[in-house]
Amino acid sequence: MRLRAVDVKLGYGDRVIVDGLDLGIEAGTVTTIIGPNGCGKSTLLRALGRLLKPSGGEVLLDGKRIDRMPTKEVAKILGVLPQAPTAPEGLTVADLVARGRHPHQTWYRQWSSGDELAVNEALSMTGLLDLGERPLDELSGGQRQRAWISMALAQGTDLLLLDEPTTFLDLAHQIEVLELVRRLHGELGRTVVMVLHDLNLAARYTDHLVAMRSGKVVAAGPPAEVLTEDLLAEVFDLAARVIEDPVAGTPMVVPIGSLPATGERARRNGALLKD
Amino acid sequence: MTPSSAYGPALRAGPTSWRLRPRPALTALVLLAAAVLLTGLGMRLGDIPMSLAEVARAVVGDGPDHLVVMELRLPRALTGVLVGAALALAGAITQAVARNPLASPDILGVTPGASVCVVAAIVATSSAAGGAGGTLASVGIPLLALLGGGVGALAVYALAWRGGLDGYRLVLVGIGVSVVFTNVKYWLLTVGDVNDSGRAMVWITGSLNGRGWEHVVPVAVALAVLVPATLVGTRSLGALRFGEETLTGLGVRPDLTRSLMILAAVLLAALATAAAGPITFVALAAPQIALRLAGAAQPPLVVSALTGAVLTGAADLVARTAFSPVELPVGVVTAVLGAPYLIYLLVRARRKARS
Repeated sequence: MRLRAVDVKLGYGDRVIVDGLDLGIEAGTVTTIIGPNGCGKSTLLRALGRLLKPSGGEVLLDGKRIDRMPTKEVAKILGVLPQAPTAPEGLTVADLVARGRHPHQTWYRQWSSGDELAVNEALSMTGLLDLGERPLDELSGGQRQRAWISMALAQGTDLLLLDEPTTFLDLAHQIEVLELVRRLHGELGRTVVMVLHDLNLAARYTDHLVAMRSGKVVAAGPPAEVLTEDLLAEVFDLAARVIEDPVAGTPMVVPIGSLPATGERARRNGALLKD
Repeated sequence: MTPSSAYGPALRAGPTSWRLRPRPALTALVLLAAAVLLTGLGMRLGDIPMSLAEVARAVVGDGPDHLVVMELRLPRALTGVLVGAALALAGAITQAVARNPLASPDILGVTPGASVCVVAAIVATSSAAGGAGGTLASVGIPLLALLGGGVGALAVYALAWRGGLDGYRLVLVGIGVSVVFTNVKYWLLTVGDVNDSGRAMVWITGSLNGRGWEHVVPVAVALAVLVPATLVGTRSLGALRFGEETLTGLGVRPDLTRSLMILAAVLLAALATAAAGPITFVALAAPQIALRLAGAAQPPLVVSALTGAVLTGAADLVARTAFSPVELPVGVVTAVLGAPYLIYLLVRARRKARS
């Protein structure tokens, strides 16, 4: 178990979003966290990446408390790509990706040949070698997202946390990003944890699916086991058919319509029982 | 295929390695030469005007001019360039931390705090004990400026800190604190004796008149220590332009970086203000000029410091010669040059926001 959340309590100020949650990430897997808006999935990912300090419980990286490790050491093992990251105006792709080498550099070793190699590899892996000198703000959404992933790659970490890496991208670009993730996992053996909204894509590109609702893990396991019609009702208040994806063979969600919220359904069920 | 052109040439020797950036390096060399030249030109001026050659001869020789040049003219000229460098470096740091090109050490509370302290001392002591003015001026005022600057900065820092240091909040709190200090200063000036207020005004404007080695040494020491120190932190300072979460992900400690860098800026600005009074606009304008000269995305620290030195040195030359024999305080010239520049920046920022 490379990364673990143990009984974590997470929130912002007085607002508690996640309470008493446990989650373990196995080495060499792609894990995707799914759940409705506001269920705490991004909050959990931020805590796993030490961007948010738990108010209770702990996050362990390779068995050690992540908040007690020097942050620069963590940055050599664990890369985080936040949701909608911002870059300085006019920054070039090469400069952005080179920034990923930060944890490996010191004031007297700012641009070693190892750095240059890692940046070149990251650029070539994401197909951005030719765009190195282009300012980031001139790129398309898909290219920009690849550039950010490229920066995380240049960081050379075994673990990669991606918070909604496909937001604001059209379907073709979403596929492009997820195929990149699959290659990172397949070719480089990286461990990836991400948050996704598209359930069908999540099922297709994931080994391990974690479904959350109201700050709790409702189900976790291989997509075929987790993504069921009952779960969709329970987690998303969604009536749906789950059929086999004709291309990938993974579960595919075909929505029927929204259901009343769980609480209301429970009350109605109760009322029915009384009748 | 290697896109090495996207990174520029690298400088590698043993375990050390740097990215070589030719344009900032060249800019720095040119500015350094200009600063040395301006120091020389400044030393020509005085009761007995000298040519550059005479100045050079007086420095190396030991004729009667040697004493004049070494004890009066050199320290004055050096105070100018060093104070300019210190203010500009403080400005470059402040702008990077605040992520705002309009930020300057004024918003850190340093100059307003120093001004209140010095004005209070001048107004309070001089009318009561007329003779104390001389001693107060040479020893007391720099110390008071340092104290006031420190207190001002501490007030801003304490009020801006809220479980972390946010650049935007720092700017807002800084502006608020500055206004309070500035109004206290004006109140002191109005209640004080007219002559005292007049003397205080000269200090507030920022002047290099009569500056000696005792003014040079503290600023020189501060620069000698803090320039290398800030250069070590310059990578993290550059990273501050990214979002908070990206920074943490890269293993930068944003709050620590900001706090240490702000501390350096406060020390530089306070010591510079102690030596020459609050010379306006150098800290604001020099980093922005340096940025454009060096073709960089963020004010480069060394080029900013050198630009500040050249700007202040040049402003002092203008102040002393433009209305000769009347000498203006250097702060008047930097303000006259700086105000239009500030307006230009504001207009440009608005245009950009609209497009």
